[in-house]
Amino acid sequence: MDDDDYWNTSETKAKAFSFDDDVLSTREILAIGQKSHPGQSVDSVFTTLNDARTELLPISSLVSPKVLDLMILAQSGRDPNNIKDSEQTLAITLKRIILGRSFSLHQYKSLRNKTELLDGTISIGDGNAILTVVLYLIQTLNKKLVYELLSARPLALNHYISFLQTEGKITELTDLLTMLGRSSEAAVFQFQHIVKTQGNSIDGLLRKVNNLLSNHFNQPGMDAHQNKMVADYIKLLEWQKCSSIPELYNASALSCLLHCVTHHWTEGAGNMMSPLTLCQRQQVTPLQYDWVVLNIHANTNKWDVVESLFTKKDWLGRTTVSSHIPIETLISRLSELKASVQIIATCLNKLTNTEDRLRLAQKYKVS
Amino acid sequence: MDQPLSLKLASLCQISQYKLEHILSQCGEKADLIIDPVLIKPLERICGVTWLRQHGIDKIYKMDPQLGSTSNTRRIYFIPACIKKYKCVLDQISSLLSLNPAQADAKCFNIIIVPKFVCTFDSILENKGLYEIVKLHSFSWELMRLDDQLLSLEVPFLYKQLYVEKNQSLLSSIAMSLWSLFHVIGKPKCLMSLGKMSSSVLDLLEVYNETFTRDFVSNNTDDIGAVLVIDRDQDYSSSLLTPATYSGLLSEIFNINCGHLELNVKETKLKKGKLNFTTSKDETAKTAVMSLDSSIDHLYGEIKHRHFSEVLSVLSSKAKLLKNEDIKALGIQEMKQFVATKLQQVTLFKQNLVNHVLASETIISEMNNKFENLTLTESEMLNNRNKRANFTYIDEHFGTDVHMHNSLRLMCLLSLTQGLTYEEYNSLVHKYLLAFGYKFLYVFNNLITSGLLVQPSSPKLSLSNLSNLSDRLPKWQTEFQTVANKLKQLPTKSDSAKSPSYVFNGGYIPLVAVICNALLTSESLAELLTKLSALDDLKIGGSSVDKAKRGMESLNEKITNSNTKTDSENGYRDAKTLLKTLKGDSRTMFTLKPRTVLVYMIGGVTYAEVAACDVIQSVTGSRIIIASDCIASGSDLIAANM
Repeated sequence: MDDDDYWNTSETKAKAFSFDDDVLSTREILAIGQKSHPGQSVDSVFTTLNDARTELLPISSLVSPKVLDLMILAQSGRDPNNIKDSEQTLAITLKRIILGRSFSLHQYKSLRNKTELLDGTISIGDGNAILTVVLYLIQTLNKKLVYELLSARPLALNHYISFLQTEGKITELTDLLTMLGRSSEAAVFQFQHIVKTQGNSIDGLLRKVNNLLSNHFNQPGMDAHQNKMVADYIKLLEWQKCSSIPELYNASALSCLLHCVTHHWTEGAGNMMSPLTLCQRQQVTPLQYDWVVLNIHANTNKWDVVESLFTKKDWLGRTTVSSHIPIETLISRLSELKASVQIIATCLNKLTNTEDRLRLAQKYKVS
Repeated sequence: MDQPLSLKLASLCQISQYKLEHILSQCGEKADLIIDPVLIKPLERICGVTWLRQHGIDKIYKMDPQLGSTSNTRRIYFIPACIKKYKCVLDQISSLLSLNPAQADAKCFNIIIVPKFVCTFDSILENKGLYEIVKLHSFSWELMRLDDQLLSLEVPFLYKQLYVEKNQSLLSSIAMSLWSLFHVIGKPKCLMSLGKMSSSVLDLLEVYNETFTRDFVSNNTDDIGAVLVIDRDQDYSSSLLTPATYSGLLSEIFNINCGHLELNVKETKLKKGKLNFTTSKDETAKTAVMSLDSSIDHLYGEIKHRHFSEVLSVLSSKAKLLKNEDIKALGIQEMKQFVATKLQQVTLFKQNLVNHVLASETIISEMNNKFENLTLTESEMLNNRNKRANFTYIDEHFGTDVHMHNSLRLMCLLSLTQGLTYEEYNSLVHKYLLAFGYKFLYVFNNLITSGLLVQPSSPKLSLSNLSNLSDRLPKWQTEFQTVANKLKQLPTKSDSAKSPSYVFNGGYIPLVAVICNALLTSESLAELLTKLSALDDLKIGGSSVDKAKRGMESLNEKITNSNTKTDSENGYRDAKTLLKTLKGDSRTMFTLKPRTVLVYMIGGVTYAEVAACDVIQSVTGSRIIIASDCIASGSDLIAANM
């Protein structure tokens, strides 16, 4: 079949889930499936898992014993014969590193030999070999020369960066990246290191993130938005420290808002624990604020609050909906939260398009 | 040795077992096995507890940093190749030694590392003064058969290392798994790689072939005609898009580990990733485990690749059949016969049916309201339509029902297909950080590094930074639609027969399916390469390609040539260069024999891709086997960046 024809005659099922009418409902299927036969407990079925295992081929019909020995040899990285190759060419050395066999790099003394060694590993692309050689270079060359070699070889450089990062050698990593003109990455690596090592210790976080902000993120050439995020982080940490509620330490802004809405709903703006104060400090978007408030009050069955927040009476006395949450999303969520039909109906009325209104009314079973 | 291929693949675990046996035989008698929990499920596919006991293991413990004394002094730790976990084990050994220094001479500590230990492991051992006290063993288990034609190396941490940390230390393990596999199923005559890591894997494969070549015993099998090794970042869209198949949606909602699904209908992956507004905690209910293996659960085999809209009707028809098989109508003898032969089968079937219905119900209740809008928006993004509306949809999503992983997935998809401006990018970042904490600021940099997200250029970025950035961005991303259109990945209105695009609700054909289709339908090499000419980084080699061309270049030559940068690498040729030399040559025939293709995805394959290849194989009358280091959904990929 011609390739073009094949794709052009193909069918797509661009439809959402829809189900035939004569299909049993899931409850009906479950009823049939769960009717158990006497004397057979449901749990016993899991023991049959091992049946498939018995029908395997014997190993001898998969590979010959000689090949099996090779596989063991390859896995272990041992030498088949203990005699070392007398001549250590570059190719032999590289192969030995890749295969995990013993090797010696001491003969690579000149800068030229070292460079060839590094380029050899890069051309094959085995990360283990690349890192082995890079670490050897670090031991035997001065840093400036190594950095020069690395800066022209991104693959090798990446391996060294990854090594420094997993080893937690953040100062060296910062020096390296700064030297390469990648100080914004260096700052983020440091940030990652701090949040991953400090846990939720609020004092440690405050001290270290503050230092990072003034020494790195606030430097010229850094991304302004990233800078602001770090500054906002510090503001939030400070707020959390003031709150003296350990559960909130290093929690997200919305988690803190959740706490404030639940426990300090009535406190007015200006008060530290007031939801409004927190929103202002953290520049929580009105959409996110509405969403949190809706979910918390609905979950605690305070539907009167929900209604008073999201509806208002216009001058004719009609109730209209007013929320930053897009109306379809709002209706869908209200339905999930098991809001009363009345509230959902009020929302539906907000829709000017009759077609949409009908469709959604059917979807959420509001008639 | 002409056993069926499927049986050979299922039996690969015998080789793994043999390899493990060899390691255990070096660790001495009567030892405690201390295993990292993530390795339990894969190990179960290699051996059972009884087998372990027969091979010198006395007690088995889960690895825990606080683990105190165990019943034997001889310990065998069993961990993945993760520096952090490795250091934790070494710390534990050090503290045991400080209590009992005499153990240092007893050589009683062994660490088995999956899939292999790398150079840093050795130097850390030396650094901690544990050299010769602790013995390290690499355990490179073979690919595991999870389902019919689905193989996995089960090293789910590999994506993070390779793409986020940019560390290719374990790439040789992929090569080794292919090397072993080819001993069992024969060497294919055509080898293709797409992407830099895949290219390295084929080079490393040559190193193994050359090293052990003098001993290579050919068993004259040729079960596969071609192998395609492909980097995950060559088709991120197939990970990011919402699948429409049953198995694809299962992986969106439930945790799947080594082919086993935890049927936790209360705490789904979707629920866990969202802000929790309720204070009440559901008591953890006992959850059933489903085995996603068609040979065990035939029902799963029937529905796994189906578009989800069809699944309930299939389940319903099965239930109707069951209803008719009521045993009340049977006589005594028939009843006995039934109990002896069919009862267990029927009970198992019923259990499977119930599980699939529960899973489907959960999918419906969690996705039904969103699925339509979600897939519609995704399709608009792919086709570069209504960018403003797409952004508004995502921005609202970030402001309301934001999900820790899936929301980032949408952001990444928009960024790769239509791009994000500096302001749009920051608006999403800000909302995300407010919801989940500023501590995740670094995640966006990781997403950029792994190529999932394109950093928009800030008006203030200096020139040096800019050039730096453009180096790090794979070029195809900026021209997503151009490439996707050239490869016919974006179906136009089409309305008959089955297209692999159904796996994404008709919106997109996964790249692997496109390449497999080209491999299986091209008659000449020139035709194949022309079809795939939109792909950069495609390399092709093997005897079916090289017959008429230059001979293979050995590794030694390659290294000597590495300074002069020749285009041929180990006999693998850059597809574009090759196409030029073939210009007008339609005589170089290209026939796949046998018509079986092995696809090896480096960095995790998705169930949707598996389903798409299933369509190709039935349309072309061929067989496609999918292998990867793990099966990973889009949210798994995002989680690896955290």
